[in-house]
Amino acid sequence: MPARAGEPLAAALLAAGVQVFGRSLKYHRPRGPYCLQGHCSGCLMRVDGIPNVRTCQTAVRAGMVVERQRGWPSASFDAFRALDWLSGQGIDHHSMFTSSAATNRLAARFVRRLSGFGELPAGEPRPPAPVERWQRQVVVVGGGAAGLQAARELHRRGVRSTLFERQEVAGGRLLDGSDSAGGDGQGSWARLAELHRQLEGSENLELLPGTTVVAVYPGDRLQVVAVQERRTLVVEAERLLLACGDYEQVRLFEGSDLPGVFAVRAFDRLFYLHGVIPGEPVVLCGDSPRLLRLAGDLVAAGVEVAALVSGATRPPLPAGEGAFPLVPGRLPVRASGGRWIERLEIAPAPSEPADGLFDCGCLVSEYPPAPAYELAHHAGCRVDFDSACGFRVVVDDGGRTSNAAVFAAGHCTGAMSLEQALEAGRRAATGMAESLSGGSGRED
Amino acid sequence: MGKVIVCRCEDVTLEDLRQAFAAGHRDLESLKRFTGLSTGFCQGKCCAAHAGRFLAELRGGDDMVCDPTRTRPLLHPTPAACFAAIASGEAPDQEDA
Repeated sequence: MPARAGEPLAAALLAAGVQVFGRSLKYHRPRGPYCLQGHCSGCLMRVDGIPNVRTCQTAVRAGMVVERQRGWPSASFDAFRALDWLSGQGIDHHSMFTSSAATNRLAARFVRRLSGFGELPAGEPRPPAPVERWQRQVVVVGGGAAGLQAARELHRRGVRSTLFERQEVAGGRLLDGSDSAGGDGQGSWARLAELHRQLEGSENLELLPGTTVVAVYPGDRLQVVAVQERRTLVVEAERLLLACGDYEQVRLFEGSDLPGVFAVRAFDRLFYLHGVIPGEPVVLCGDSPRLLRLAGDLVAAGVEVAALVSGATRPPLPAGEGAFPLVPGRLPVRASGGRWIERLEIAPAPSEPADGLFDCGCLVSEYPPAPAYELAHHAGCRVDFDSACGFRVVVDDGGRTSNAAVFAAGHCTGAMSLEQALEAGRRAATGMAESLSGGSGRED
Repeated sequence: MGKVIVCRCEDVTLEDLRQAFAAGHRDLESLKRFTGLSTGFCQGKCCAAHAGRFLAELRGGDDMVCDPTRTRPLLHPTPAACFAAIASGEAPDQEDA
């Protein structure tokens, strides 16, 4: 299979026309990537003998052996999919095979085999990674808009910080192609370049990309556990600034879990960064200006766009008006297809009958991302629920959480614009700097 | 009608949640324990917000959703080799948040 060196394995597979990456656990439904951020389970495959590898987070290499994990006779054609067809709205396993203990044991063994918990890794186990113990005054988690802006503000105030970024390149949302435009040179790429310039060579910033924070332990001093490819860091920190962003989501409707349904930022990265269009015609669902820009860019690139379906009754008109149908006041209600989305039905509301149908080679589904609240929850910070996004870290204007040593900023605290995320990062850094110097704050 | 899959990792459907709610599971932790929601590879990153909305709608408001499910390390699935070198008793103190 041909691929571009360094691109994510999942992007290379999609470019090569691979549709089914695996099968779901219970109903053997086809699965494929939808978030491309390493958060969902859609892109998991067995790579070089290691099970459950996130193919969207793995750079492609020549000679890689990539296998699907579940399904019989194969994940591409899986006979157990019949379970899905036959089970209607679902199987309630609570009362199945419970007549006697023996039946239950037998059934459990059979069901385990059926759902396929996978096979153990082949070859020698990986040797233990060396563990290093560090002490740092300020740890920032996440190098997106809020995290980078916070690091910039801390640097300006002469406070040293250590920033852990999960990806190899810091930037987060600032890397998104559909936010990069801006006639005044204020697009996200221009801002990212500016932040990098301001932080370059800063002795106040220790920037560690490719570092995933997996746990925070509260206590007299916070302990942050971060893993890298070759070592594990256990960091004692005086202050923690969480700017860990959010998780891409898609709208929920019948069949919305089909391969070929992508979150906006996932599709954004495929198109703008990797030049991959996983299927045509493309249908887009959502209301934001960035989605309209994406649709316009797709048409300009010669990609067939079937429609932009907008829940709003009067959406703003796209730049390329007339290049594709704009369908206002409709929501997607049903996706169908065998191994990949083929058709999309729309309706005025989820409870109403469908009144439109599109051939669909790929669906870009815009939906509010869910804040990454978990690390704050580890640290005992207060979290609340907002239907507009999901669970989120509760902060005041200065980014303070309910734990005095922990600050949070950006999309882990709720839905906001890029501008607001940058501003939140600056404020949280200011609040933190003030808390370190006993309230006075030092301005350089 | 086909399935609306709320939790992709564990194939939990919207109908499963409705039945669980009707059976008296009216907070996320309880829904999770009954249906298996949020217990898969992604640990709720892709379904917790959807499940919260489901609860908010049935219980009449965001304030009624209360807490998310208990969050425990690790945030992301991580190879055991990353921690194998931490000698027993030397690991970070586990404190209840």
